[in-house]
Amino acid sequence: MSGNRGKTAIVGIGEIPTGRYPERGAIGFALDAARLAIADAGISKDEIDFVIPTTAVFSFQFSNELTTCRLVEELGLKNVSANATVFSGGSSSTNALRIASALIETGRARSILFVHCEKLGTGLSAQGGIDLFSTAGISMEWEVPFGQHYSTVAALATQRYKYETGTTDEELSAVCVSNRKWAELNPNAFFRKPLSLDEVMASKMLSTPLRAKHSNMLFDGAAAFIVTSAERARELTAKPAYVLGEGGVVTHFAYHQEPDLTRFGWAQAGRQAFAEAGIAPADIDVAEIYDSYPVYQLIAFEEIGLCPRGEAGAMHLRGETWPGGRLPTTTDGGMLSKGHIGAGGSVSLLVEAARQVMGRAGERQVPDCRFAVETAVGGTYMDAQVTILGNEIP
Amino acid sequence: MNIPQSPAKPVPVVQPWARPFWDAARAGKLVLQHCEDCAMPIHYPRIACPHCGSDRLGWRAASGRGTVYSYTVVVSNAPSAFLADMPYVVAVIELDEGVRMLSNIVDCDVDALRCDMPVEVVFEELTEEFTLPKFRPSR
Repeated sequence: MSGNRGKTAIVGIGEIPTGRYPERGAIGFALDAARLAIADAGISKDEIDFVIPTTAVFSFQFSNELTTCRLVEELGLKNVSANATVFSGGSSSTNALRIASALIETGRARSILFVHCEKLGTGLSAQGGIDLFSTAGISMEWEVPFGQHYSTVAALATQRYKYETGTTDEELSAVCVSNRKWAELNPNAFFRKPLSLDEVMASKMLSTPLRAKHSNMLFDGAAAFIVTSAERARELTAKPAYVLGEGGVVTHFAYHQEPDLTRFGWAQAGRQAFAEAGIAPADIDVAEIYDSYPVYQLIAFEEIGLCPRGEAGAMHLRGETWPGGRLPTTTDGGMLSKGHIGAGGSVSLLVEAARQVMGRAGERQVPDCRFAVETAVGGTYMDAQVTILGNEIP
Repeated sequence: MNIPQSPAKPVPVVQPWARPFWDAARAGKLVLQHCEDCAMPIHYPRIACPHCGSDRLGWRAASGRGTVYSYTVVVSNAPSAFLADMPYVVAVIELDEGVRMLSNIVDCDVDALRCDMPVEVVFEELTEEFTLPKFRPSR
């Protein structure tokens, strides 16, 4: 058995509905999510001996409080040896899980609580959100002066990807429809009304060929999970979400430095993760793919091996990724329909991957779900992170 | 529509080792860094060669010619400082020297833009201190 396969597991998850909570402080969301995760794991709060918060970008002051142990004090955790923030933007979830697993495998910690919370929906104005994300992760010397921002970042990949693969606007838009089908079943999603292909394709153009309904919107939200050893996990539940494999590659900081905007580092990250897990892409029962914009869901889906290049759009259009489809994909609705909560975009997806393999996904539970793959990426798609979870160890 | 007053355009936050690039741009010239040891062309400018690690770096005039790797026409929801510029084109340019640069395509019919089309450099003054290298379809 390879390296770290199945040595650790996620045993509890907590999440509040994505939304707008102008009257509530972010600390309340964080505490709710953490308490839900502790209850879901069925452990005492004092079993937690390590806390990993991630940064909340809406407030520097609040992030400082997370870094300086506010969660430990508020929750009254009595046996915590360390509280250490892990942050890499949208890939914070995967990196936190990777570090948590390493701490447990080396005996430095037994049960680790990871918490994310964010107030991007009510902590900022709409134009403030555009302006914040016109500098976050974008080079102040080589890109910002040219009007680069997140719509152009996504549009540049979309344009080149369409050019190279022949993917149509309909196929791109089908990602939004597919993710909405899942959000309709998710009480924690913000957008739950049915969405048609025509509505997506008729929505306002932002940066060609990217339209308004191809874009995520920012919200408030929080999620948490608990990681422990495989031995402890088996005492707690018959279906833990074992961490089977992880792969990652950092490719760039400035977006124009990425050598291939139609591929990124997904192929390498996927190969590593599947090799460590000892399974093949064909064994995957559910795919939780980072979907800040439709093109990224298509690229990662193809590059990690779930279908040949250029065919993911057609799969989404044919409904193969929908509820009841051959390969259920982004089953919480993703950033496009559940809502984007900063680093929480991929926290949601990781929590959903764990929820599916633990068999706790309610109305949207994928039947006989054994293996889930989750992808995460931070900055302007600066890295490619792949995690494989399963309720059995191959 | 009530367009809010745009704040000043952001100027490049310059690292000292990139200063020759911006000085040349102000003089209407496009220059690129290269490594004196491994000979690789480098952009954006680095403190040391990202290929071999050498700090023996030099500057050379660039051809100013390249192709469009990808592009987008911004028609709404731009950052505040760029709202008044819409529509404007953001593009990744593949220079003939083999390095990429983010820039704008100007002086063009936006409907005629295509990936891989040839472009050439032009210079647009941003402030007294900064001139930005931009591109237009090759003539």
